[in-house]
Amino acid sequence: MFEFGEGAAGSYVSQATQQRVKRTAVVLTALLVAVFVTIPVYVMIAIAVQSPSSAFAGGSVQLFVDSLSFENFRVLLTETSTPRYFFNSIVVTASSTFLSTVIAVAAGYGLTRFDFTGKTLMARAVLFAYMFSPIVLAIPLYVIFYTLGLLNSYFALTLALTAISAPFTIWLMWQYFQTVPIALEESAWVRGASRTRTIWDVVLPVARPGYISAAIFSFAVSWNDFTMARVVMSQDEMYTITVGASLFLDRVSIGWGETMAASLLIAIPPFCIALFLQNYLLQGFNVGGLE
Amino acid sequence: MASPIRLDSIRKEYSAAGNTHVAVDDLTLEIPAGSFTTIVGPSGCGKTTTLRMIAGLETPTAGTIHFGDRDVTDAPPQDRNAAMVFQSIALYPHMSVRENIGYGLKVQGVDEAERDRRIEEAAETLQITAQLDKMPSELSGGQQQRVALGSAFVQDPDVLLLDEPMSDLDAKLKAELRVEVQRLHKELDATVVYVTHDQTEAMTMSDHVLLLEEGELAQFAPPGDLFDHPVSEYVARFIGTPSTNMLPATVEATGDGYVLTDGQFSVPVPGDLFADRVGDDVTLGVRPQYLDRGGGSHGVRVRVDVVEQLGTEYVVHGETTDGSKIDVVVADDAGLATGEDFDAYFEPDDLFVFDDGGDTICHGDALSQSQPA
Repeated sequence: MFEFGEGAAGSYVSQATQQRVKRTAVVLTALLVAVFVTIPVYVMIAIAVQSPSSAFAGGSVQLFVDSLSFENFRVLLTETSTPRYFFNSIVVTASSTFLSTVIAVAAGYGLTRFDFTGKTLMARAVLFAYMFSPIVLAIPLYVIFYTLGLLNSYFALTLALTAISAPFTIWLMWQYFQTVPIALEESAWVRGASRTRTIWDVVLPVARPGYISAAIFSFAVSWNDFTMARVVMSQDEMYTITVGASLFLDRVSIGWGETMAASLLIAIPPFCIALFLQNYLLQGFNVGGLE
Repeated sequence: MASPIRLDSIRKEYSAAGNTHVAVDDLTLEIPAGSFTTIVGPSGCGKTTTLRMIAGLETPTAGTIHFGDRDVTDAPPQDRNAAMVFQSIALYPHMSVRENIGYGLKVQGVDEAERDRRIEEAAETLQITAQLDKMPSELSGGQQQRVALGSAFVQDPDVLLLDEPMSDLDAKLKAELRVEVQRLHKELDATVVYVTHDQTEAMTMSDHVLLLEEGELAQFAPPGDLFDHPVSEYVARFIGTPSTNMLPATVEATGDGYVLTDGQFSVPVPGDLFADRVGDDVTLGVRPQYLDRGGGSHGVRVRVDVVEQLGTEYVVHGETTDGSKIDVVVADDAGLATGEDFDAYFEPDDLFVFDDGGDTICHGDALSQSQPA
């Protein structure tokens, strides 16, 4: 945000002025966000819920919805493989989210609770891996999966997606576990709880905001992924919804209306998650140093 | 059953980046069963490390630890039947107070009815019954501390370890909980080891005090002994507030015996202790409380620097003529102003004499016997 100096007091600008500047900045930012996010989303919804004939009547896009129609969704769900794509997306997203979160919790716990040689190196490598764009990993992974005969499998795509999300989730959990006082665990040990029991009873409940953030992040990566799915999956029945929807544009029988309807469907799960789990998301990312 | 704790030549080293840091060095002592022992010392002297080794959270580099006849040196913390209260309190934020206190019992497989009975008993002792179904975050600092104490003693441990449990509390709560902890100790059949950097806590609460100096044992004795018979300058300085005054002096032979003198005073001393120290530099330790403006057998001149009022008494911070710092506790400041001079008197009975290595040569009781009748 716009702030002059460290805080309100002690700067040359009066606090009232700072307040005004802050408020103006917030409003401006909100407007910018609205222009770049809300308007496209609105266009998407508007096209999706009108029948193609009324949406594009008169040669221009009809942005004021006057007749609701679920024609686009009907076409999408009955005449295309959208349900199949959705199913594929759900399978790989769920498995990758689970895998990435489990890896992150295990790695975060290990990195903060045990001393071993090469620990710093490993931690840096994790962060370094996060700098790669997915496409850098995609080609080598393709070669590997091809050699192993794993192309067109949920298993391969799950691994590929985890490779993209895990560096960040590991880093997140590593940071998060640093804020969980080890005295909590020690106190459980002294009271007779084994290390494993302590992890279930104490560590995991306390780390919950952390791993929920990690899970949300890996969910977002997997659900929205295009690159990996495009590279690993080459059969129509194995496509995820993102790849499938992008292919609609190449087909004559499927128009903008259906494509927007597909986009709307894609957007619903992330939207729900952001809506219901935002508190956890903020808690987890605050600790990770992101605000 | 309370068990005695025996430490034998305990040593703990930490290696970090090629440096070896010795946290505890050759510590040997026996803490009697059922006693209340305080480990005290300045920050970084190894007191928490010692406690953590007793708890099993650290393994000594060398030496052995016994609880009674049982060698627990390598036993995991889980099977020592010890309980520990941590400096950070360490309450589980996701469990209610009841669950926090009962967690150890749950781990041990105590059934729920019995568990509830013991939790409620503990809560009653600590006056936190009304808080049992709250979450730790809803409690005040003092209440959290009580819950931590409750979770430790509800398990009926053989050994109860407390790691600076009150360092974050305000003075009033500290005083309150100090009494609480002592009451618990009387009710419990456990050997209590209490770590603190606050020597007032150490002196008021314990049967025995273990004073550490850079990982080594400085003195292990009952509090009164530590106060009256310190074995070294370090002990004398650390125990007691304000700190013991140190007056430099030399041993001199006179016609009819030996004296310690700095030019202003001349304290006769017994020949059997000082005959072969003639000419040596020694240090006289005298507690600020034992210096008296009214009069006494020996005196030093004090120039007033600052006068602090401590309720009923005053602490005068000043300098002697040779520039060494000196504190005097007086009942009445009588308008002492900065820069003013006065005489502070002491009796040989109240002195400690240290050699130039800081070890005690003798205490006041040995000096008073050599007084000319």
